[in-house]
Amino acid sequence: MRLTLLFAAFVVLGLAFESAVPHLVSFRALIPNLIIILVVDLGLRHHGVLPAMLAFAMGYATDALAGSHPGLNAFMMTMVFLVSYEISTRLMVANAMVGATVVFFGVIATALATVAFADGFNALSDTGSMLGGLTLEAAISAIVAPFIFAMLAASKRMAGLPGRAARE
Amino acid sequence: MRRSFLWRNRVLLTSGALLIVSLHLISTGVHPGDLAARPESAFLEIISPIDAAFTRFSDGASSIVNDYLNLVHVREENAHLRNELARVKGDRARLVELEVENRHLGEMLELKDVLGANAVAANVIGSDATGLSRTLILASGSSDGLRPGMAVLANQGVVGKIIAISPHASRVLLIDDHNSALDGFDQRSRARGIVAGLVDDGLILKYADRSQDIRVGDSIVTSGLDGIFPRGLLVGTIKSVHRGGPGLFLGVRIEPAVDFRELEQVLIVTQPPPHLDDGAKD
Repeated sequence: MRLTLLFAAFVVLGLAFESAVPHLVSFRALIPNLIIILVVDLGLRHHGVLPAMLAFAMGYATDALAGSHPGLNAFMMTMVFLVSYEISTRLMVANAMVGATVVFFGVIATALATVAFADGFNALSDTGSMLGGLTLEAAISAIVAPFIFAMLAASKRMAGLPGRAARE
Repeated sequence: MRRSFLWRNRVLLTSGALLIVSLHLISTGVHPGDLAARPESAFLEIISPIDAAFTRFSDGASSIVNDYLNLVHVREENAHLRNELARVKGDRARLVELEVENRHLGEMLELKDVLGANAVAANVIGSDATGLSRTLILASGSSDGLRPGMAVLANQGVVGKIIAISPHASRVLLIDDHNSALDGFDQRSRARGIVAGLVDDGLILKYADRSQDIRVGDSIVTSGLDGIFPRGLLVGTIKSVHRGGPGLFLGVRIEPAVDFRELEQVLIVTQPPPHLDDGAKD
């Protein structure tokens, strides 16, 4: 329950940030994808049904504020959670570097998958022009990720939750 | 064993189930009023006030940033405008100077026409270096046709005469110098005398007979008898008349017509006017 509340708070703030800050920053690629960072943290450090459902819920919450295909972000967040979970269980590591790497590729994969889902796979051939901005957003998200992980770890400690990967 | 398999793979299975649900949502879509639309609607309801607060905050922050950027821009613009203002002020000063110079030259041209004599205009470029004498330096010299002894005039009146010359410059002895003297008379009473400078700055009318009717405010003009200054040029006005002192002559102080400190352009008479001889006959 504490984990749900904690991530719910972070998701609300993260989504509010992501939807409000574009007023300030004209170049959208400069805004990190905070939801993916949260999902990666869930996948790397919280192995259970509830984290999986939280990832799905976070994606679904994103669908409430983004996109025109409900379920798309829910699907992608679940996928990112799953990949993070698999990396965490197979590699037995869940440090910030791995998390940042997953975030980087997760941002790119999510964007490309969103384009493919929304406009068809043929649309992927037209993504050349957006790859620069997409890569920048992924890089910024990866750079920001360790700080978000640290904030989450601190919040978890305050909430009495385990900071490291733990099977529930 | 079966329970153990499910338990061990509960994350994968749950994630798989959620992925299927997601695909179902994507494929079928979510319509208003559907059960699947309720969480989305609820979340939108929850997050909208927070989003609004964020937007207000970001707008406020954006406004501050924009204000700051505008302030920086205003500072730059202010500096630019200050430079522009300084340049315009400089241009205006030059225009005023040109206007003044134009007026002076116009007045001198009128004077030249009145004199009916050949004259050359010259700019004043300096004054006496020591201050012990009262002279001016002109930017015209022998190459402009100037010669020593030529009369120097201003539109207000007599200035002096050239005492030294070089090809491109000349020095003028002012009429208020203590070594200067010219013949003049009271325009009203026709009383004659010698206008001379004083050491302590000022002009006097020398050799004015006590019997002459000379009053304060009378104009003193050149007589032309000295062979330098044309007849009838204003020298100054009587400032004071002293009759109580000893001697045969009146003590007459003259206020020069020309403010020598403000001189910028002067007119040099290069050829004595025809009526000079007429004046000499008087």
